Amino acid sequence: MNKCFRILTFAGCFFVLVAAAPVTVYKVNKGSIAFNSDAPMELIKASSNELAGLFDASTKKFAFRVKVSSFEGFNTALQKEHFNENYMESNSFPYASFEGKVIEDIDYSKPGVYNVRAKGNFTVHGVSQERIIKVEITAKPQTVSVRSSFTVLLADHNITIPKVVHEKLASEIKVDIKAELATQ
Amino acid sequence: MRYNKIILLLCIFFTGRLFAQEPAADTTDLMAQLENEASDKDATNYTSATFKTTRLVNGHTVENAAKGVLDVKISHRFGTVNKGAYELFGLDNATMRMGLDYGVSKRMMVGFGRSTFQKTYDAFVKYKLLRQSSGKRKMPVTVSYVGTIALMGMRWADTSRKNYFSSRLSYTHQLIIGSKLSEGISLQLMPTFIHRNLATLADEPNDLYAVGAGGRFKLTKRLSFNAEYYYQIPGYKVEGTTNPLSLGFDIETGGHVFQLHFTNSTGMTERNFISGTTGKWEKGDVLFGFNISRVFTIGKNR
Repeated sequence: MNKCFRILTFAGCFFVLVAAAPVTVYKVNKGSIAFNSDAPMELIKASSNELAGLFDASTKKFAFRVKVSSFEGFNTALQKEHFNENYMESNSFPYASFEGKVIEDIDYSKPGVYNVRAKGNFTVHGVSQERIIKVEITAKPQTVSVRSSFTVLLADHNITIPKVVHEKLASEIKVDIKAELATQ
Repeated sequence: MRYNKIILLLCIFFTGRLFAQEPAADTTDLMAQLENEASDKDATNYTSATFKTTRLVNGHTVENAAKGVLDVKISHRFGTVNKGAYELFGLDNATMRMGLDYGVSKRMMVGFGRSTFQKTYDAFVKYKLLRQSSGKRKMPVTVSYVGTIALMGMRWADTSRKNYFSSRLSYTHQLIIGSKLSEGISLQLMPTFIHRNLATLADEPNDLYAVGAGGRFKLTKRLSFNAEYYYQIPGYKVEGTTNPLSLGFDIETGGHVFQLHFTNSTGMTERNFISGTTGKWEKGDVLFGFNISRVFTIGKNR
């Protein structure tokens, strides 16, 4: 009985200690990324729910990535095949990623909506570009949610558009990101 | 290798705990951590686009039309090029097949067509038995079954004897074993069995066997070189026929695939080109031909 109590106390102390240590790494629980190509002749939309990411609030560093072949949608099955085969070459470059650091110093333990700039390497189709992307972060206790909209120029990532589909494929792709992150 | 990974994981875990309030070493740590946590090691990736379209030249590839997609195919074979300038190297003559293929499900496709060659009607069903994949479930090959029934529509030459309707029919069963070896190279083997209800001569076999081999070699993203050959098993072939060899290019533009090729067979249904080819490459009995494929999405693609 006594022994049992001691173990419980010990365990209790342990948990208090662990809980007291500030955990600052947030992980994406639910993340989605959608893009659309709005060209004169065709609107193409696709999205993926396989956005993964980590954000370390203490160092302000983050890493996000998505599997290119996980995008669904498109207007036809063939379009999805061409997306993977001819444009993104997802066999050779399976992930698109963004990693870097948030510029602003924010205390995310205070709930609120913060507009920040994320600076880092944005990699698509194996080509990295340094980008500063505006992000809206909503902080709540234990969780943060992230929202961002930005555009990607295909030419920046060495993705060429053949002449025959010039009217059907936009050279600038709109991207929307939404993610819920929580401490582990 | 495995231990390295475990040690790395442990390191990340402990550094994460110990230095949670210290500046983290590097952002690549976060990315490495993401990679380690990635769930796609548990996912199966199915290989796509082993071939550009459902036909190599004359015969089938392991590819299917996607579910809910109608593929309209128009194929032409001109005359033999050795006819010379008088026949404009065969372009004065043409044999054609019009066909419609439809993807019923992810694995099944059906189609029918009509060729001017012996006024042949054909219908087929194609089913993907195995799909090449990597990841959690590994499968090195895609295996498809194709069953074709062909109906010869010509009027009987000899009307004095009793001609049965069933005599017009022939059946083909094929197993297509294909593999995308790399981005640029896909190969396939096609063991084939053909049954003709009516053999032309009494001593000819009704059951014919052949083994096909073919492949595609990507030259650019939208252009590939294709080769297709069927070897007829001696003793189970029609005397006087040759083995069909076809070489061609696939050119892809959006929803179209254009296939331009040279072949020694005029027929475009299995029974006709596998067991009924008479042209000889070495004598210049080679025909120029093309297939045009245009896909239309009819059903919902998901």
